Amino acid sequence: MDPIYLDHAATTPVREEVREAMEPHLHGCFGNPSSPHKWGREAAAALAEARDAVATAVGVRFTEVYFTRGGTESDNLAIRGRVRRLVEEGHAPSVVTTAIEHKAVLAASAAAVSEGARERVVLEVAPDGSLDEEPLKEALASSEPTVVSAMWVNNETGLVLDVPALAGRVREAGGTFHCDAVQALGKLPVRLDEVPIDLLTLTGHKIYGPKSVGVLIARQGTGLRPLLHGGGQEQGLRPGTEDVCGAVGLARAVTLAVAEREATARRLADLRERLEERLIREVEGLRIHAGDARRAPHVSSVGIPGVDGSSLLMSLDLEGVAVSGGSACQSGAQDVSHVIRALYGDDAGIAVVRYSLGRSTTEAEVDRAARATGEVVARLRSGAPA
Amino acid sequence: MSRVLVAMSGGVDSSVAAALLTDAGHEVVGVTMKTFCYTGTGSHGKSCCGLDGIADARRVAVALDIPHYVFDVEEDFTRDVIDDFVDEYAQGRTPNPCVRCNSNTKFRDLLRRGRELGCDRIASGHYVRSEHGPDGSRLLRGRDEAKDQSYFLWGLPREILPKLLFPLGDLTKPEVRARARALELTTAEKPESQEICFVPTGDYRDLLQKRLGSVHAALQPGPLVDRSGEVVGEHDGYAGFTVGQRKGLGGGFDGPRYVLEIRPADRAVVVGAREELYSDLVEVGELNWLTPEPPRPGDELSVQLRYRAPAVPATIQTSHGRQLLELHQEFPAVTPGQSAVLFQGDRVLGGGRIVRAGRHTTPAPA
Repeated sequence: MDPIYLDHAATTPVREEVREAMEPHLHGCFGNPSSPHKWGREAAAALAEARDAVATAVGVRFTEVYFTRGGTESDNLAIRGRVRRLVEEGHAPSVVTTAIEHKAVLAASAAAVSEGARERVVLEVAPDGSLDEEPLKEALASSEPTVVSAMWVNNETGLVLDVPALAGRVREAGGTFHCDAVQALGKLPVRLDEVPIDLLTLTGHKIYGPKSVGVLIARQGTGLRPLLHGGGQEQGLRPGTEDVCGAVGLARAVTLAVAEREATARRLADLRERLEERLIREVEGLRIHAGDARRAPHVSSVGIPGVDGSSLLMSLDLEGVAVSGGSACQSGAQDVSHVIRALYGDDAGIAVVRYSLGRSTTEAEVDRAARATGEVVARLRSGAPA
Repeated sequence: MSRVLVAMSGGVDSSVAAALLTDAGHEVVGVTMKTFCYTGTGSHGKSCCGLDGIADARRVAVALDIPHYVFDVEEDFTRDVIDDFVDEYAQGRTPNPCVRCNSNTKFRDLLRRGRELGCDRIASGHYVRSEHGPDGSRLLRGRDEAKDQSYFLWGLPREILPKLLFPLGDLTKPEVRARARALELTTAEKPESQEICFVPTGDYRDLLQKRLGSVHAALQPGPLVDRSGEVVGEHDGYAGFTVGQRKGLGGGFDGPRYVLEIRPADRAVVVGAREELYSDLVEVGELNWLTPEPPRPGDELSVQLRYRAPAVPATIQTSHGRQLLELHQEFPAVTPGQSAVLFQGDRVLGGGRIVRAGRHTTPAPA
């Protein structure tokens, strides 16, 4: 039996339309966009078209779209680039983030402190998605500028944070708001002409685009300092010869993801409901993480008591079901992830499995995944040696 | 065919072991045990289970089209193997961490996790043979005398033995290499790993300093004395010595001198001439038997007292609750902390850790 890929939150394959859009830029149209000749002009035009497509898809201006080498880089550029700029202007900004952010945001925020930020505040998050009010209020009330970074959709659980409300409060308090939206685009409406977000991270490979290409949206007036030094590409914010091919692919992926969003979300929500119904039936004691909260439709994270997490994941892989134990970035580690710990406390003895659904996912696949999970858990529980 | 878990270090031997099992029609699952965190050691994991070992094992697994996982056993390994290693040196003995790992950590963990993955057999690339018959399982020396690794496996829990497969037991190293080349495995030309996996620099004294602190008695200077008790020199820490060692003793002797004994009580390293190294009575502890019944006193056995040394004929006896091996011919540099492995012909009966050695005429010192 063919293995089933249920790890779309880790990464996705490049879809056919994206591959076709990228194809010409691998050979014929290979120029450097900075070059003054025909090849350069063609590349520059393609890059501009890509930038335009991204701008249109999320409701910003052409000049507010910066191509980067991926989500981690965009997160770093947003948080550290903004902090550096504020420090240069003589401020001592606070960085506020949440306990369930991606490691890129948590680590970049920590690095910002060593680069002049006054402090890093990490807000607790409840399983319903609500944030710890007091420290947030306190930070926003400070006379020094505040840089707040919160993800729209949590990668491990699908939990949706109320980004529009948070963005509004930060704007009102005069702070800077960064949102990592890599798991949100194509699943939720992401419109910056409706939500006052200053900095937004996107990446290609979560939405059937190429890896190693991302976007940072920086709204006009949100001054940043570059992290890398070199030529003047991307308005000096991200020097280095542009990856035109990647940008074209990413732009195509973004356009398609946004255009198909409603249909995708509906389809995935139905599939996930089907999966979770079956999992609950198959596995005694299973809990669905953030199950009562608003979630993006493609992720289902479950906690299973009484089994070893790594044995469970390996066994599922041996049954041809590819899932992850949290985020793919920390596989191998046997500890429960920082996200699940933040939401549920230290819960030793709970195995965490993340199923994430995508374009190729079928009803038959989720049925088989649930059945395999039930069988493997039963085997592990029965033979579980002390 | 059954599902078999193969321990893959990323070396050529375990790569070929996995390939042979795949060819034999088994459903093979490869695993690499991460025993030690290499980040921060500044080494590039030259030894086999380092990060490049994991990467090589993965590449081989993909080439063989088998699944491969990493088992993180760092915590158990640190407790069972590294702590023991440090403690043994601190007490003036010379530990054998690979024996310790095979006995306490590696195979137990493979079996436990293998069971969880539905694997009923465990395989490794050791050059030993196992025979499974109606009257139980036997562990035998590998066919390749130059590579035989049975010395390292005497401490296996006996109940694990029936679950073990050693696909290389009937092959020689050149045959294994040829096989790896034929399969175009990325590990085909990989050199033998020699160092201890958690001492990638090759100098175990760095590790002892880190774990014991440099003020520990084992790392302090002390006297070199001869058998009569006369001080004949100074050494820079007894943990740097092992019985039979000649290097590091300085000069000025009337002929080559060897370490005869390490005495932590007064930090002394006892030295003497080559003929003083020989013993024919060996006390062993922590005995483990791979046979249903331990051998009886007077049974004709042979004992191997270091890796790659020939086994010497011996009998076992108990005296005042101590297990003594009576060697039928003298053997040099029997080293406390090392293994004494007992054989009957090619069959591994079991073994123990050497506690002390002496001469028959002068009973082992208490």
